[in-house]
Amino acid sequence: MQLVPFSYNLRSLLVRRSTTLLTVVSIGATVAVISGVQALQQGFVTIFEKGGRTDVAVFLRPGATTENQSGFTRSSADILLKSIPEIALTDDGRPMSSAENYMAVRLFKIGGGETNVPVRGVQPMTMTIRADDLQILEGRTFQPGADEIIVGENLTRRIRGCQVGEVIRLNTVPFTVVGTFTDEGTFSSEIWGDLERMGDALQRSVYNRVIGVLRPDVDVPALIEAQENHPQVPAKVMTEADYLISQTGVISATLLGLGAFLAVIMGIAAVFTTTTTMQAALAARTHEIGILACLGFRPISILLSFLFESLVLGVLGGLVGILLTLPLNGIETGTTNMITFTEVAFAFRITPQVLGTAIVFSIMLGLLGGAIPAFRAARMTAVEALRRG
Amino acid sequence: MPIRLIFRNLVRHKLRTALTVGSLAIAVFLLCVLRALVVSLDAGVRNSTSDRLIVQSAVSLFVNLPASYVGKLKAVEGVDSVARLQWFGGYYQDPSSFFGQFGVDPEKFLGMYPEFKIVEGSRERFLTERTACIIGRQTADRYGFKVGDTVPIIGTIFQRLDGSPWEFQVAGIYELESIVWDETTIFFPFEYLEESLKGGAASGPPGSGVIYIHLAEGVNPVNIAAEVDGLFENGPQRVQTTTEAEFNAQFVSMVGNIPFFVTTIGGGVLAAILLAVINTMLLAGREQRHDMGVLKALGFSDWAVFGVMLGQGVLLCVVGGGLGIGLAQLSSPEIAKLLGTMFPGFEMTSEILTNACTLSLGIGLLSGALPAAATRKLLAVDAFRRGA
Repeated sequence: MQLVPFSYNLRSLLVRRSTTLLTVVSIGATVAVISGVQALQQGFVTIFEKGGRTDVAVFLRPGATTENQSGFTRSSADILLKSIPEIALTDDGRPMSSAENYMAVRLFKIGGGETNVPVRGVQPMTMTIRADDLQILEGRTFQPGADEIIVGENLTRRIRGCQVGEVIRLNTVPFTVVGTFTDEGTFSSEIWGDLERMGDALQRSVYNRVIGVLRPDVDVPALIEAQENHPQVPAKVMTEADYLISQTGVISATLLGLGAFLAVIMGIAAVFTTTTTMQAALAARTHEIGILACLGFRPISILLSFLFESLVLGVLGGLVGILLTLPLNGIETGTTNMITFTEVAFAFRITPQVLGTAIVFSIMLGLLGGAIPAFRAARMTAVEALRRG
Repeated sequence: MPIRLIFRNLVRHKLRTALTVGSLAIAVFLLCVLRALVVSLDAGVRNSTSDRLIVQSAVSLFVNLPASYVGKLKAVEGVDSVARLQWFGGYYQDPSSFFGQFGVDPEKFLGMYPEFKIVEGSRERFLTERTACIIGRQTADRYGFKVGDTVPIIGTIFQRLDGSPWEFQVAGIYELESIVWDETTIFFPFEYLEESLKGGAASGPPGSGVIYIHLAEGVNPVNIAAEVDGLFENGPQRVQTTTEAEFNAQFVSMVGNIPFFVTTIGGGVLAAILLAVINTMLLAGREQRHDMGVLKALGFSDWAVFGVMLGQGVLLCVVGGGLGIGLAQLSSPEIAKLLGTMFPGFEMTSEILTNACTLSLGIGLLSGALPAAATRKLLAVDAFRRGA
């Protein structure tokens, strides 16, 4: 089978450049919207996935799905902190586990308005557990027992009073910002301070959760089951990675759903546009199709030729779409996790998955949009085409 | 101006016209839905009244106000009544099937919210029975709850010590006269929760999350808000008193830049469709070059020819836009159901539809004007010479 030379299609697209351009940019806008939504979802998921460690266990009260719903009395927390054999020990033989409290605190945004910032009170052991994850960027870390806090990097740009040396009032107690820190996960959107001082200021006598580093050889499912049925302190245990993934569900699903909805609806419109363009190309080139047929090109070759041309339109559109989306990469935004009512900052991420989806999507648009005109072109007989052209 | 030519030319390319009208309808539909999403976010703010104030902890949404605050608030001059509200945060069957639940002081709450209409069942039962509840129309329809049913809710913040779910009997189903709340929430008596906590049947934080104040007539809400804030300035819990509108606006801004996000998507949709329609009209203009030359040779004025081209663009967009608007209007109840708790105030307002009309017309004029302007300047001689 002799294929119609591709250069024929490329030149044809060039001859009708205004139509080609309009179609390509129109498809591009569609692809850009879909990619943008997906980049948002990827950015959101990334921040939760990166922060989660599989060697850290999170203990919550049974039935709680988030740490703000969870709570342990001091005595229960003590038992969890000291008596779980699966928890790794430090060099001097202390268990690497720590109690934390967590609360969404009302603070003011730099641009105006309020938001709920997660405030975490931690024990000194937390800082040992997080030694590799957390990096102090500016200043120093807080002193145990002092009214001092350190602020996640994302907050310093978004929330008032978060620069080193400034003071944030929690209920009636002023806390001094002594440092800022960064972390790959969600901690970068949090404020950290001493557990007991936080508890006093916020009038919380219960701890929200206990975390602990697992020994390398621990059978996690067994630990989960044992702790669920623990006679003294039943608790829900998850690895930190699992815990964080469970937190992303609703928003991630919403964004994926929105992306799919837009892809279908806007995709249909884009296919219509491509079909219109290709149909016009067909009408203008009926004569040429007649000549191709006379030269001996088979109908299948003519079909493939038109499909190829439409495919080029789609892929060019996809590339334009990607170019339009690329500047989004890294732009920061925030949303509220509607389960914990705390704000999480994250950035758009153009991942390979986003690019892959954009290309596949635009190829589909091109092929579907070209189908009808290509089929019509292939069905023309040489005589008919020459006469009509 | 040969008006029939407008129709004739559009019918000449049935496939193209159908596809363009189709994509326009889809785009306009999508724009209406996106716009309605943004508008719905503000529903609670727009419908707020100035005779309700909300007192909450100035520290955090999750800090409860002590029980003693109720009495102190009642004593403030200008306060007509006070109702406690407690976010319950439980779930029905599965954490993903989410709707809000609140413990309230039934009589005081319904008293200050005349917008709540009990359309089925008995208001009286809700006011008197300890474990009764009222359910919003949307949630009742979604899960098939009927008056008299028992609704089991699994507690997360508040847990019964025996591990069983909380059970509420449906006393009534409410609808809202204006979307000041949403029709998905369940309200049950706060006292039931309070007693369970005190009696040791359940665990969870004491106190109430927020306290609603209904103001006496003619009282300035700003003064009262300042007075209440001053009352608790030195603890034990500092409070923040806001009007209902401000309170609802806090939740809207919490979601983040949804309006901006959705508007950006809308911009993409608009760009795509505008280019697509312009493309169609330029194609049409090129094909009708010869015909338009004929018209001019027959003596039709430049503006008549202009009108024929412009008219095609406008007609295309009026039909496409009209279909899209109709689709948006017809499907909006279904979409509202689908969105459920996420956008409780979803509604296709007449303002959105009017804007969509204007927009469609605008696209039509713009896309028609481009080829029309070229055609107007065209000389008949050139049209024949270079015509297709």
